[in-house]
This record gives sequence, structure tokens and C-alpha cells, in this order.
Amino acid sequence: MKAEAPLIDDARRSPPIQEQDLQPQERFEDELIMDLERDQFVVETSRPVPRAVLSAPATAGLWMLRVFVVIVSLMVIYTFIDQLH
Amino acid sequence: MAATEASTAAGLAGPQLTGEDTARSLDRSRVHDARRQSKRWRLLWLLVGPGILAMLGENDGPSMIAYASDGAQYGLGFFVPFIPLLFAMAYVCQEMCMRIGAVTHRGYGELVLQRVGPVWGWFAAGDLTLTNLVTLVAEFVSIRVGLAYFHLGAGVAVALGLVLVVFTLSGGRYWRWERIVLGMALFNGLFLLAAILVKPDVGAVARSFDFSPFPGGSFNTLLLLLASTIGATVTPWMIFFQQSASADKGMTPHDIKHGRYDTAVGAVLAAVFGIGALIAGAALLTHGGSGIQGFAGAGFPEALRHVAGGAAGAVFALGLIEAGAVAILTISASTAYAAGECVGVSHSFNSSPRSAALFYAANIGVALLAATVILIPGAPLLSIALNANVLATVLLPVSLVFMVMLANDRGLMGAWANKRSTNAIGITVIAFVGLCGAAYGIDSFLQAIHLIGS
Repeated sequence: MKAEAPLIDDARRSPPIQEQDLQPQERFEDELIMDLERDQFVVETSRPVPRAVLSAPATAGLWMLRVFVVIVSLMVIYTFIDQLH
Repeated sequence: MAATEASTAAGLAGPQLTGEDTARSLDRSRVHDARRQSKRWRLLWLLVGPGILAMLGENDGPSMIAYASDGAQYGLGFFVPFIPLLFAMAYVCQEMCMRIGAVTHRGYGELVLQRVGPVWGWFAAGDLTLTNLVTLVAEFVSIRVGLAYFHLGAGVAVALGLVLVVFTLSGGRYWRWERIVLGMALFNGLFLLAAILVKPDVGAVARSFDFSPFPGGSFNTLLLLLASTIGATVTPWMIFFQQSASADKGMTPHDIKHGRYDTAVGAVLAAVFGIGALIAGAALLTHGGSGIQGFAGAGFPEALRHVAGGAAGAVFALGLIEAGAVAILTISASTAYAAGECVGVSHSFNSSPRSAALFYAANIGVALLAATVILIPGAPLLSIALNANVLATVLLPVSLVFMVMLANDRGLMGAWANKRSTNAIGITVIAFVGLCGAAYGIDSFLQAIHLIGS
């Protein structure tokens, strides 16, 4: 049994668009698009990356580091204020 | 975001361009032309920027005062080789940022927020805003100290800083902003000139590379100098800035080799100019200089004028103005990048103020806020400058941990993920920075509450 021809073939059969058929603005934009990688476009970079799954020990380690850093920061700020007096 | 919907039509049509895309692709077309025509120097010229700016931006007012303080208190020994060692550490960190920015085309703030979670993203942005605000105050202080040498007041310092921020933002192009700031940053070499003008003993400079003598004095003062010197070399804003700037510049994995050159050149220049400030400061030691706080009133330029002549003082003063001005631009930019990335709106110098209102407002607003602080009379200038670096050092390990996590994330980085050797160095840097910052913070606190003696 013969499969139905895919839609893409219709597109291939249509006459190719020549460069001179494009308006100047379209040609300019096409050239610009070629200078950027696809994932550099604003529309691509505005899509969020999927969230990574952190293991429980990694999450615990991050929280411990965060708490430690906050405590030491408060110590530094206290000392700075104390030195002013 | 200013993004428009992508066209999904196959064939000729690609994504619809935003103004930001158009500006970036124009820059990229020049890079592609240089690469096609094998113009190596032209290619290097087009691709340098974020690395040099991050490194020379970090040779800011507080950093140069910290280096000069090291020299004034301890002389050349230990710190002359210590500064290049710190910039080697900075290179490792900044290379990772550049690589992540070039591969993902995203800033540090948005990657932490999206990949690790909003809580961590906002923590990172909070750390950055706090340290940036304190550091920006210190930058205006350094401009004020520099201008005071020429009998100009705090009002001029505020006006100069704010005019520069607005002027560099006015073009609406990343390229323009980068080139203006890059041109200004090269004047960081004034510190090298100041070092030459104090006529140092070249033999003593060469001999100091053996890390001796190890600094004496109280344990706490030594910790303060270590922590502030580390904070003068690697800071949270550099991480945010270089990654975001690399993405904003449009760097891709093809440009990573040049990004490494850019970062390495920046590190070498920053180390040389930093040693210049140290040598200039050391002139005060050999001429019977007093302790660190003794310089707070007159300022280093005035002190240098007394021991090495008016030219050395003037050059050091001009250096402080330059260092403060460049850092105001880069640190404000890093704050603006972080604000835009965390809120999820347009954050690019290639966007117009209308489409990236928060980015532009944060850039100017944070500088304006810091500027108002230095107008307060009787502010402890040197103390703010040194403590800005210490606070940055204390908060840095968290930023570094996330940076190493992102650089190891194969889902994001693919083949560009960290190698084992890079991880080993990165983890060593984090441990070293964390220990120095924590040791100073804890020791100072215990002294402040009189649990231990000084």
C-alpha cells in the first residue's frame, strides 16, 4: 500500500523564493538572523530552563552554607557599627 | 519581556527579531566577518570586553585603597606575590562565568532562579544588592577622596558618577557601553605610574616574590587585610556581571577561546596595576607611615604627596577617581542585570529604555542611592571602603558554590561542563575564601563583644 505523500513535498514542489523576491527589510532581517544562533534570540532566552532536581544532602548543604553566611555577615555588620562608636 | 512570538513557519522565516536581537546580530556579523577573513587581531578586538571589565572593574577604589593599606602597613613582602595568586583564583572563577554565559546565553541570576529555585535566586540577588550598595558607596568615597586632592567636594563626586552612568547608558547599545567603559578602565594603569613615581627599590620588589616576610601585627588586623584583599579580587558582582555581559555581548561557544584570552588579559592587567597601588602605598611605610586608620582623614593621595611629591599624589588621586568611576558603571550594570533577570523582564544594554525600563532604572537608581550616602558629613571613609570588601568576601562562597554547580550542570553546559581539575581548583578557592572571610568575621565579633582580647 502506497503511503500518502507528506505535506513537506508540496512545499518542495512549490517554486523556490528567489532573493530578489524579498523586500529589502526582509532580506536585512534574514541576514541578521543568520548571524545569531537560534538559542540566542530573545524569544528563546525568555523561555525558562527546566528546574534541576537537587538531592536532599545537596539542599541541606546549601541551607547550612546560607545560614552560616548570614550569621557571619551579621557579625561583620555588628563589628563595623561597633567600630564606628 | 520584549520578546515577540516566534514564527514557526518552516523555510525562510525565522524568529521575529526584537530590537535587542537586531543590535546583537549586528555585533555578531562583524565577529563572523572577522572569523571568515581570518583577521585574528580584529576578532580579538571584537571579542574582548567582559573579562577585562570585570577584572579592572574590581580594581576599584576600595580595592586600591586595600592594596595601598597592605603596602603602607606591611611593606612589599607577602602581598606582592599574593595579589597575582588572588587574580589567578579570580581567573578560574571568571572563566567559568564567561563559559556559562557563552553556552547558555543567560545571566547568573536567571539561571540560579530557574535551575535551582526562586528562593536561591532571590537570595543571590539579595546578597548582590547588599554588597553592591555598600561597594558603590565606597566607590563614590574613592572618587571623593581623589577629588579632594584637587580641592573638589563631595557634590562634584556625586555629579561625576551619576553623569557617567547616564551618559554610558544613553546609546542603547551594549557595544557602545562596553567600549566607553573599556577605554576608561585602561586608566587603571595610573596606579602603575604612581608606583614608578615613588621610585621603589626594584631589587626589593623582585625579592618580595618569595612571600616573605610574612605580615606581623595583630591577628585580627592581618585577617582584616587578608579578607579585604581577597574581597578586592573576587566578588559577587563580578560573577553576575561577566556572565550576563558575555550573554549580552552575544558570545557563543565558538568564542570561548577568546573569552579566556579576555579574562586572562584582564587578570594580568589587574594584578600589575594592583601591585602598583601596593608599591605606592609601601612608600608610606618606608617613610614612617602610620597605621591604616591614620590615613582616613587626609587620604592616600595627600599622604603620598608628602613622601613622594605632588606628581605621585596627583596620579594616585586620579587613579582613585578612575577606579571609582569604572566600578560605579560595572557594579551598577551588574545590579541592573540581576534585577532584570530575577524579575524576568528585558535586561540588556541592547534594549531601549522603554522596553527595559527596570534594567535602566536599577542601573541609575542604585548609583543614585549610593551617591546620597556619601553626602552625609563625617562618614568613616576608609572603614566603609575596607568593610565593603570584607562583606563581599563573607558573602562570596554562596555565589561561588552556585557558579560551580551551574558550570557542572551537563544539562545546561553539555560538553562545556567543568573538568575535574577546574572543579578541584574551584572548590579550593571557595574553601580559602570562606575560611578567610569567616575567620575575620568571627574573630572581630568576639573582640567587639569582648570575649577575646585584640
